[in-house]
Amino acid sequence: MPEPTAEELERRNRLQILPEIVSDQTSTDFPGHWPGENHAYDLEKFKKNFKVQFHTDDTASLMKAQKHAIPSSRRIDQVFSLIGIDASLANAFRRIMISEVPTLAIEDVFIYQNTSVIQDEVFAHRLGLIPLTADRLSLHNMAWYTKPVEGEPTATELTDQNCVILHLQVKCEWKEGGLEKAAKGVSDPNELYVNHSVYARDLVWQKHGKQTEWPEDDPVRSVYPDILIAKMRPGQEVIMKMHAHKGIGQDHAKFSPVATASYRLLPTIDILKPIVGADAKKFQGCFPPGVIRLDSVTSEDAKKYGELSEKEGEPKAVVANPMGDTVSREALRHPEFKDKVRLGRVRDHFIFKVESTGQWDSDELFLHSVQLLKTKAQRIKRGLDLMMK
Amino acid sequence: MSSYAGADTTAGASNPSGANNLSATEIDAHQRAVSYTCGDCDQDVQLRRGEPIRCRNCGHRVLYKKRTNRMVQFEAR
Repeated sequence: MPEPTAEELERRNRLQILPEIVSDQTSTDFPGHWPGENHAYDLEKFKKNFKVQFHTDDTASLMKAQKHAIPSSRRIDQVFSLIGIDASLANAFRRIMISEVPTLAIEDVFIYQNTSVIQDEVFAHRLGLIPLTADRLSLHNMAWYTKPVEGEPTATELTDQNCVILHLQVKCEWKEGGLEKAAKGVSDPNELYVNHSVYARDLVWQKHGKQTEWPEDDPVRSVYPDILIAKMRPGQEVIMKMHAHKGIGQDHAKFSPVATASYRLLPTIDILKPIVGADAKKFQGCFPPGVIRLDSVTSEDAKKYGELSEKEGEPKAVVANPMGDTVSREALRHPEFKDKVRLGRVRDHFIFKVESTGQWDSDELFLHSVQLLKTKAQRIKRGLDLMMK
Repeated sequence: MSSYAGADTTAGASNPSGANNLSATEIDAHQRAVSYTCGDCDQDVQLRRGEPIRCRNCGHRVLYKKRTNRMVQFEAR
């Protein structure tokens, strides 16, 4: 059986990025494509080749930029690479993270009073979209709740296992002396009124049943305390009770645990002929900062390439960090780089970026997606076994 | 609901001499007052059945009924 060479394998593993088109997008490592070669799926081979790499992420800057109700040790914006995996699997994980990993979100709103300018249904919708957090083990152990639908017997009962009750009660009033201030022309609401804004931090969790045993220091609360739900003026009031249930993103986007989960393929930049001098500077400018480094031409380079013999010590473009490239293809626009650079992407190197809404950590979400895919595969296997009986 | 005065509230106010209306006013005098908001000065106005529809503060004759505390359920979708 013929074995392809390492160079051939690397060539097959690259997408080509040309000025107008992207080619070689599809993978070819499946049985029957290359005559005589064995590309049958092999778990041992996958285990040997598969790699996971973690990269520096933006969680710290994210935590600094916005006020969070979660500890800053949580990693909610992780970037990591899956290397040596097929696109079908990588995409399955991404899709499962977006639409099938369960989270807790407000589902039913019972409005007793709402004299704010936000209409009841809009208010309820806004409440639903607030990302909640709590003790993660307790959340994980929560059960599903199925709403009663007419004619369907599948409804479950509301219990402490599947329902979290939240309250919101805010009344806006004049501050002491606010009316006089307003008459004098002061218009800053902070000086005139109390409770002129309803924030997500005003949500109060009412423990019931077994929930009293949930950890004291990790109550059900909004991940972002400063989410503005409504603005009010003196005399306006909101009183409402909410039921939060577990659900999945497939049902409604509010249940999606990720702000987004996405991947991109690792870009490659191959410099085929040395780019030196002013051209090197220009070449560096064709890429985002940090992607191309400028080294100086060494005597070895001069020996290797005849045209560099006079140019020792001049700057030379070297690829430093292809991961930072946005693949703008700017380098392909300039005639001086013609035939000197080749852009591409690695077909089986997926750089994932999982931005969690805060209920779960990014890595937990990914592992959960793997577990869910496994469960699905097992279900299919069981079905097939039944079919063969 | 017994506190709801209905359409004859205005009739009772404009025509207090009617025998039927008089007895109705007597019964309702002990009942809970309904709170309205003045259309002009935004003050709270407590009205009982049979009383003239008029703001006690500014005399404005347009009053607005407040939203009740009745619960309405919404899906957060």
